[in-house]
Amino acid sequence: MTLDFEGRAIAVRPGQSLAAALTEAGVLDLRDTRRGPGGRGLYCGMGACQDCVMVVDGVPNTRACMTKAVSGQQVMRQPHPAPLPQRTTGTRPLALEDLPEETPELLVVGGGAGGLAAALAARRAGVEVLLVDERGIPGGQYYKQAMPGLAPMDAQQSEGAALLAACREAGVRILDGTEVWGAFAPLLFLATRHGQTLRLRPRAAVLATGAQERALPFPGWTLPGVMTTGAAQTLWRSYRTLPGRRVLVAGNGPLNLQVALELAAGGAQVVAVAEASSGLRPLALARMLRAAPKLAAKGLGMLVTLRRHGIPLRRGRLLRSVTRTADGALLAELDDGTRHTVDAVLCGYGFQPETALLRAIGATHAMQDGLLRPQRDAQMQTSMEGLYAVGDGCGLGGAPAALAEGEIAGLAAARALGRSAPSDAPVRASLVRHRAFQDALWQVFRAPFPGLVLAQPETLVCRCEEVTLAQIDAAIAAGPGDIGEVKRRTRCGMGRCQGRYCAPLLAARMGVDDSFAPRVPARPVRISDLLGS
Amino acid sequence: MTDIAVIGGGIVGMCLARELAMAGRDVTLLDSGHHAGTTANAGSLHVQMQSRFLRMYPELVPNLEASLPLYPEAARRWRLLAEDLGADIELRQSGGLMVCETAEHYEFLAQKCRREQALGLQVEMLDRAALRRVAPYLGDAVHGAELCAEEGKLNPLLANEALRRDLQARGVPYHIGHRIARIEAVREALLLHGTDGSVIRAGRVVLAAGAGSGALAGSLGAPLPTVAEPLHMNITEATAPLILHLVQHAERMITLKQLAAGQVVIGGGWPARFAGPQDFPTVEAASLVGNLSLAQHIVPPIGGLRLLRSWAGVNTTADGQCILGPLPQEPRVHVAVPGDAGYTLGPLVASMAAALLLGRDPGFATDRFTPARFSRAASG
Repeated sequence: MTLDFEGRAIAVRPGQSLAAALTEAGVLDLRDTRRGPGGRGLYCGMGACQDCVMVVDGVPNTRACMTKAVSGQQVMRQPHPAPLPQRTTGTRPLALEDLPEETPELLVVGGGAGGLAAALAARRAGVEVLLVDERGIPGGQYYKQAMPGLAPMDAQQSEGAALLAACREAGVRILDGTEVWGAFAPLLFLATRHGQTLRLRPRAAVLATGAQERALPFPGWTLPGVMTTGAAQTLWRSYRTLPGRRVLVAGNGPLNLQVALELAAGGAQVVAVAEASSGLRPLALARMLRAAPKLAAKGLGMLVTLRRHGIPLRRGRLLRSVTRTADGALLAELDDGTRHTVDAVLCGYGFQPETALLRAIGATHAMQDGLLRPQRDAQMQTSMEGLYAVGDGCGLGGAPAALAEGEIAGLAAARALGRSAPSDAPVRASLVRHRAFQDALWQVFRAPFPGLVLAQPETLVCRCEEVTLAQIDAAIAAGPGDIGEVKRRTRCGMGRCQGRYCAPLLAARMGVDDSFAPRVPARPVRISDLLGS
Repeated sequence: MTDIAVIGGGIVGMCLARELAMAGRDVTLLDSGHHAGTTANAGSLHVQMQSRFLRMYPELVPNLEASLPLYPEAARRWRLLAEDLGADIELRQSGGLMVCETAEHYEFLAQKCRREQALGLQVEMLDRAALRRVAPYLGDAVHGAELCAEEGKLNPLLANEALRRDLQARGVPYHIGHRIARIEAVREALLLHGTDGSVIRAGRVVLAAGAGSGALAGSLGAPLPTVAEPLHMNITEATAPLILHLVQHAERMITLKQLAAGQVVIGGGWPARFAGPQDFPTVEAASLVGNLSLAQHIVPPIGGLRLLRSWAGVNTTADGQCILGPLPQEPRVHVAVPGDAGYTLGPLVASMAAALLLGRDPGFATDRFTPARFSRAASG
């Protein structure tokens, strides 16, 4: 099985993403930008950043990370600007009512830990539940399911598979490959699935939209081969594709250690892990051990394994820059001056909640630590009746906390829908423990978010519209105005990722607790997909 | 204390403050900063009459025809302004097509075309074959079109920013986030009471606050029925140059154009609404689906593009005509609110308002635009 990449045959394994197949073949540079050729590659690996868009079977702006590689597919790097296929016949104009409609009692958006737990709890209480997930196989970023034909890699994947199976057995309807991009008050959602747009009109909804890595601009952060830790983890866990032979991992938090070990076990040479936090804090460690001894022990075990693999852990170190060498490799430099020649650089400096749908529908948010989070009551209900939000989409709490929040929301929604549901007291108690563990964990890994500390004047802050730090500073200095005004002056935040990655950076630069105005769609949606095939 | 306070920092307010500053007047510009209409402009340059309105409201035809000469002049003013600002605002008078889908509508357009030619517009009819040659991007559904050479487009983000910088260079005080709640007239001055409790004293005031002008005039006892009309707008990701013209539909709500950087802006008057405690202009699903499906119906290749963002711009309506000149109840307060197609008319309306304020010739008969017409209607 092969696909055609600009005349070159590239091997495809069934179920592999296009991004994985190309990475495996050493194709990292996927598109041009306004500034010219030699542009961008895979970055977030989860459909959010839109940097990996390519021309697939003649259709431009197709995300390599979210598209299945198929035998015989015609794939091309995307030029800028990308021409459109010729077409002289349009379909007839449509009304909203012409779109197929689903009216489940409860809609769950997102099939990660929080969403699956919410769906299962509500379904077991007798609620009719529809769960939609954007990926080919639900499971979210924690459970990251493997493509068909691969056995679960470890307990983490098999737990996810078991939870997914439990949902199916209980009678949760699951629509995979379904991207929800529109949210309108009181409770109308628009979603696209296989080129068809659906109207979702539930009586209640749980949004479990997860999180994405925070952007950390440094010179070279947009080079093909520089990607998020999560993107690399998806390549490996879901598709058994290594991001490169030699890999450097840099960032903050336990996921970087886990992914470094997974890739090393998979045969990659991990040259170093640069961890921004500087040292072990005995008090925080003790608290972490008390809150969740097993998880804490697993974490400490990772440090031992790292040493056994001979992977140096550079504490208190940041990645300073990445450049491309003449032979196509990446040269990464840490802030202690050490240099590493690698094929891939993985960055993971923490996460930000995915709040686009919640903001678009009008739920109240508050700024906390420079990031917007939805406000919720103890039942996980947002400021809007019947709309619940759970998991990392509300602020990072980790998978166990997301499971607990999902269950609480699922039970609350069931009660609100007139079902009798069991008490949530036990799961509430577990949530308290999980949150205590998370707090202690992030005390161990405590480090200030570097923000724009590493960025140089010519470093891009807005990847999509290619706005540099110097341009942003000039616009801020040009006169009074809120964050929206700076957006309009510079185009920062007007591109394909819709401001997800640059908004928190810009707000911090301006010293304001603000973000860009919420806009529909929450993800770019192809106009022909609105109309059906 | 300022000699002249201009309330509203949109296209009209900025151009007006600029003209007054150029005339050597002491002028201060105040803007509420509250999702003001101007910061959401689409950047179309409209000249020809809306065929749909002519059919739906034949009684308004005399009004529309009376205002028609403003539009080619407004487009010309934009060109002059762009040269004057010395900034590339991506202004292109590349022509505007009003397309239709049936022979009957084509005939109606042809009548409109003849009438507009008589009134001095550069317009011509294009049948299906002629249209294919100049606009191959249009779909099979399109029967023909009226082409208006003076129409076009510009990038409002660049234009607004260039104007702001120009005002800054001229030293015009520009207060963003300063919302005026009411105006109080005392013998020696006008007192502008801010929502924050502040008071600004001004010798004269121009209301250039779009739909917000009505409430301010109302605080002086002058009826001014301006209504805020939130309208749905869309923008796609960029594509290679495809759509040369400003495209409109003779019978349906659609306006679209491609910006110089390649994005396609799609609007046409589909409704949005004000939502939430802050009255945030918010889009509706029905408008999004209706507007975009119509866009690909007319220009089929658009189907391959992805929608990046939709938003609600705020249009101001009163009776379809400009409102220009002093309030009869308080002649120290002038009004500068454009009629239909406010962004197109902005620089021209500002210039006419400045002339009226300074006692100069506005270049057009402005009697029919006087705010007094609403007082007459109210008392009659």
